[in-house]
Amino acid sequence: MIQEELNLLRNEGAEEYVARKMERIGKLEPKVHAFITLRSQEELVREVKENQGKGKLGGILVAVKDNISTYGLRTTCASKMLESYIAPYDATVIERLKAQGAVILGKTNMDEFAMGSTTETSYFGPTSNPWDLDRVPGGSSGGSAVAVSTSMSQIALGSDTGGSIRAPASFTGSFGLKPSYGTVSRYGLIAYANSLEQIGPLARNTEDLATLYSAIAGEDERDATSIAFNESSPSKVELARLRVGVIREIYEASAKEVKSVFDRALDLLMSQGTAVEEVSLEHAEYALPAYYIIAMSEASSNLARYDGLRYGFKEYQEGRWTEVYSMNRAKGFGTEVKRRILMGSFILSAGYYEQYYIKALKIRSLIRKDLDQLFKRLDALITPTMPILPPKKGEVIEDPIRMYAMDLNTVIANLAGVPAISVPAGLYGGLPVGIQMMGKYLSDYFLIGISMSLEEILHNAEMSPPLAS
Amino acid sequence: MSPQDEIEVTRDLIMKLEKLSMLQLTDEERSRMKEDLRKILKFFQTIASLNLEEVEPTFHPLAQGKLRKDVVRPSLLRDLALMNAVRGEGGYIKGPRTGGE
Repeated sequence: MIQEELNLLRNEGAEEYVARKMERIGKLEPKVHAFITLRSQEELVREVKENQGKGKLGGILVAVKDNISTYGLRTTCASKMLESYIAPYDATVIERLKAQGAVILGKTNMDEFAMGSTTETSYFGPTSNPWDLDRVPGGSSGGSAVAVSTSMSQIALGSDTGGSIRAPASFTGSFGLKPSYGTVSRYGLIAYANSLEQIGPLARNTEDLATLYSAIAGEDERDATSIAFNESSPSKVELARLRVGVIREIYEASAKEVKSVFDRALDLLMSQGTAVEEVSLEHAEYALPAYYIIAMSEASSNLARYDGLRYGFKEYQEGRWTEVYSMNRAKGFGTEVKRRILMGSFILSAGYYEQYYIKALKIRSLIRKDLDQLFKRLDALITPTMPILPPKKGEVIEDPIRMYAMDLNTVIANLAGVPAISVPAGLYGGLPVGIQMMGKYLSDYFLIGISMSLEEILHNAEMSPPLAS
Repeated sequence: MSPQDEIEVTRDLIMKLEKLSMLQLTDEERSRMKEDLRKILKFFQTIASLNLEEVEPTFHPLAQGKLRKDVVRPSLLRDLALMNAVRGEGGYIKGPRTGGE
């Protein structure tokens, strides 16, 4: 808990607090590889001292995904292309955290440019799942989720374009929120697919998740898509009065191991008097291709800026501009990024734009309509967060379609811009399984309120893998 | 061509996409990408059969963005903005030549 950390810090002082954290990191980090950049003990002690007593997070160490710009600190997006890029300004979320006294512990590993669901496409090598080091932690915010689940950091920032906060939260037994689109500024988030992505919090319990979310949310004039949203005190939701729907198309596509843990959680909910019904999301089967068409199209446009010239690139060569750019991009990007850029260029090219891109945007309209209908009579939609247990490293990475299929349950919220939270449901064979709850637009604090009540019956807060206990 | 037709992913198509994307692949990457793109397009075909003529597309979750007042504000200092540039000269980024063969 953040509150406990603040008490600890007050009692033992900055040197001791940081030294204890660093000792833990020294023991665990070589096993899991959650960080791309870690700050020095000296810097941390100095900043913790300076920030003690300030705001809600005075002196608390926060892990930050490496696609969020941090002034004076390397921000790589886990890509060779940005290996030596130092951000010249802070993202708005970083400014907001600093204003609350938070101190950046380091920058976390991720799939390259957030393109992946396993944290294996990182140029700096994969992150391991602390519950089973041979398995993936989910992605793309895998480093942030692992830092939190091993208590190397109490809280962390991730970003979620199609499930990138919720997938690793689910696979590591952590809490993660993909906020309603526009409630958190994207200024300083290195863009992958702007119309889908949001920065959001990862934590070990609901209260910390809410604290971190309320610290980063709010309107920002530097992001024209951010909106005013300042509600900040969630309260428990009475489970006996809650009406939730289980999306049939997603439930049925889940692995039996996942279903068994999910069913148990659902039984507990029903025993509290929650009304649970099975519902159909009519266009669910089209969500995944529509999502990938939109994400790849936006990616091919957003990543056009990387020419090897402007953002620091070590292997720059002289020549004719078209050749120089093509060579730099060939050397700087990894396979998955190249795949998505090429596919995006295809989708947006003459003759295919209407057939793929526009059609995908129409499916997005249909999915929003489906959700609007369901939210008229239901408070939340509930599903497993991931259709499968955390796969072994190397198991899905070689087949793009198998990797994309992992995002089936999560992309719906990004297409519609609605909030979705993932909370731990329990373990299957020692591996965490998560529950996802989606709510109507701007119901973020309501979802957090449900999670607060769920914590009391699921006892799912502060889960720690044996490795880190 | 009708939406149901499968698009043939040829080496020529890959090379055209390389040009559009300014991304030069090796021969080995080209053959792998050919196979991957074929699989991905097949996966996209599930939406081809839908008739969506009556449906309006949603480009963005928010109906409209907003503009701030047109007032000059302090912004990123030039030296900071240029600090990552591989080569600079007189406050500019120096790029490769664009003319001549």
